[in-house]
Amino acid sequence: MDFELLLGLGRFVLATTLLLLLTVPTAFVVIQMEMKIIAQMNLRFGPNRIGPKGIFQSTIHGFKVLAKEDTVPDQADRSTFTLAPWMVFMAAAMSMLVIPFAPGAIAADFNIGIVYFFAVLGLSVVGLLVAGWASYNKYSLLGGLRSAAQMVSYEIPLTLSIVGAVVLAGTLSFSELIAWQLDHGWLLMWQPIGLGIFYVSSLAEVNRTPFDMVEADSELVAGPFTEYSGMRFGFFFFAEYVALFIMSAILVSLFFGGWLAPWPFPAQLGGFAGTLYGIFWFFLKTYIFVFIAVWLRATLPRVRVDQLMGMAWKVLLPLALVNLFITAIAVVVFDL
Amino acid sequence: MSIPGSGIAKGMATTFRNFFAPKVTRQYPEQRPEIPDRWRGRLDLIYDPFGEHKCEVCFQCAQVCPVEAIDMSGFDSEGNRIRYGMQEIYDERRDPNAYRRAGLAARPMRNPARWDEAVDTPWVDATIDGYGGRPEALVAVFGAVQDRYGYLPERALRRISDRTTIHWAQVFGAAGLGGFRLLPAGGHVVTVCVCASCRFAGGPALLAALEDELGILAGEETADGAFSLAVGTDVGAGSISPAIRIDTLVYGPLDADKARHVVHERRRAADQATAGATA
Repeated sequence: MDFELLLGLGRFVLATTLLLLLTVPTAFVVIQMEMKIIAQMNLRFGPNRIGPKGIFQSTIHGFKVLAKEDTVPDQADRSTFTLAPWMVFMAAAMSMLVIPFAPGAIAADFNIGIVYFFAVLGLSVVGLLVAGWASYNKYSLLGGLRSAAQMVSYEIPLTLSIVGAVVLAGTLSFSELIAWQLDHGWLLMWQPIGLGIFYVSSLAEVNRTPFDMVEADSELVAGPFTEYSGMRFGFFFFAEYVALFIMSAILVSLFFGGWLAPWPFPAQLGGFAGTLYGIFWFFLKTYIFVFIAVWLRATLPRVRVDQLMGMAWKVLLPLALVNLFITAIAVVVFDL
Repeated sequence: MSIPGSGIAKGMATTFRNFFAPKVTRQYPEQRPEIPDRWRGRLDLIYDPFGEHKCEVCFQCAQVCPVEAIDMSGFDSEGNRIRYGMQEIYDERRDPNAYRRAGLAARPMRNPARWDEAVDTPWVDATIDGYGGRPEALVAVFGAVQDRYGYLPERALRRISDRTTIHWAQVFGAAGLGGFRLLPAGGHVVTVCVCASCRFAGGPALLAALEDELGILAGEETADGAFSLAVGTDVGAGSISPAIRIDTLVYGPLDADKARHVVHERRRAADQATAGATA
């Protein structure tokens, strides 16, 4: 058998396994941050009993859902009901494939990484819709439909907002985009409007406050997750927080230089040391944006469902188009 | 006109300040609130060991209440309706049972068997008459009753109250002052509270100390049957934890030495009572 092929297969299996394993501590860390930071902002202490300073609270929660009873509603569509958590979780896990953690630490450096990312992340809406439909519950169905409406609407400005950056850098590959940012400065300076649109619609895309219409507790109990329990609910929960991490990671890669340090990257730092250096900056920046998302959740109330759609179609989409138009003209005129 | 997004920025600034601000949560088992010395806890009508209200509607509490917070109504020994304070205008407030007035189910007697303990009523009457039926002879009558039964049965006390026309509360109070048993031998149940608060504050140490003091394990009875040791979460004394309860009296907060002392004193009193009864 072809040695090259075997090597490639081995590398693929290793990378996907590592990424799947990475989702678990990532979800634990993000959930822990969420509990602790919101508590602190509410003038509470937050979890502080399990482990030093309560750092194992979310881990305990994670193992707790494993031990819980897994119920399926009487009239639920069993096969799709079972499949839905998988779809949501796999959408999040698969989109991790193209996240550029550091030079050399990127599972699949596609030349169409950005397209792949948005295509795969968009699959989670199918999972949510299926979960809502299969549960045989009005709250679930409403939540699922809301998620479909919201995520489909916001995917358009979300995708259009980065087309400007893609036109500017002339690439759809994450690593080349970061290489471009190394030469020209972070895209944050080139695409401020794109950044704003991207950030707002990414919050909506991962169903974060203030756009958490999908599981608006006060209106929909828990949206599509209402009938789920045990580890199936755990999968949804994990996927949600992993998606938050992924969105922050992509935001960092697209607009904040990915693994680049705020000062010029020391070129002599090659190989393994360079990878570690890149991972440090990448995770630092990513968790800063996770913090900001949690901070937003501690601050803002939920927007009304009709305002939400109006915002996507009447504000963000035209803005994104204008941004793209200006960028395209600038690229032609200044020959960037 | 305000700048769009300025409200969001203001809110974010507030939450960010709060992030570093001192927290207001009181970490309960470690940090306890200051409880004033005169705090009496939740007001409740207490029960005697037989599960009956100790309240006799004697109005003493209502009369001494400085802020006139208490009004009450009930029935006297003749069955006449008596009351203190404003006329009750709502039917549900007219119920003489405080628990039913509060919308709760009246508590059942804890031990109906003891309540029905047969007593030689003519003999009790004769004893009372032998002392002339005077209130100052109450303790002597108690002594005679305890000589015969080994303790003061509920029925006998009721009979004494009726015969001497001394208020039941006073009869019961005098009987409980010391030197007399209100339950057959073996009646003292020492309950160590194992609620979360008490456990945290050192309940297990109390249990160990009492097991050592009484020489028995939880759930057992001493060889002479004077004490039994139990654990429970129904002591209801979180603010004075760790607490123990002996029959109906709650003690707390205790440390191991104090708990030993309380039980030791109670045992001494019980021994004296038996000694007095046999003498």
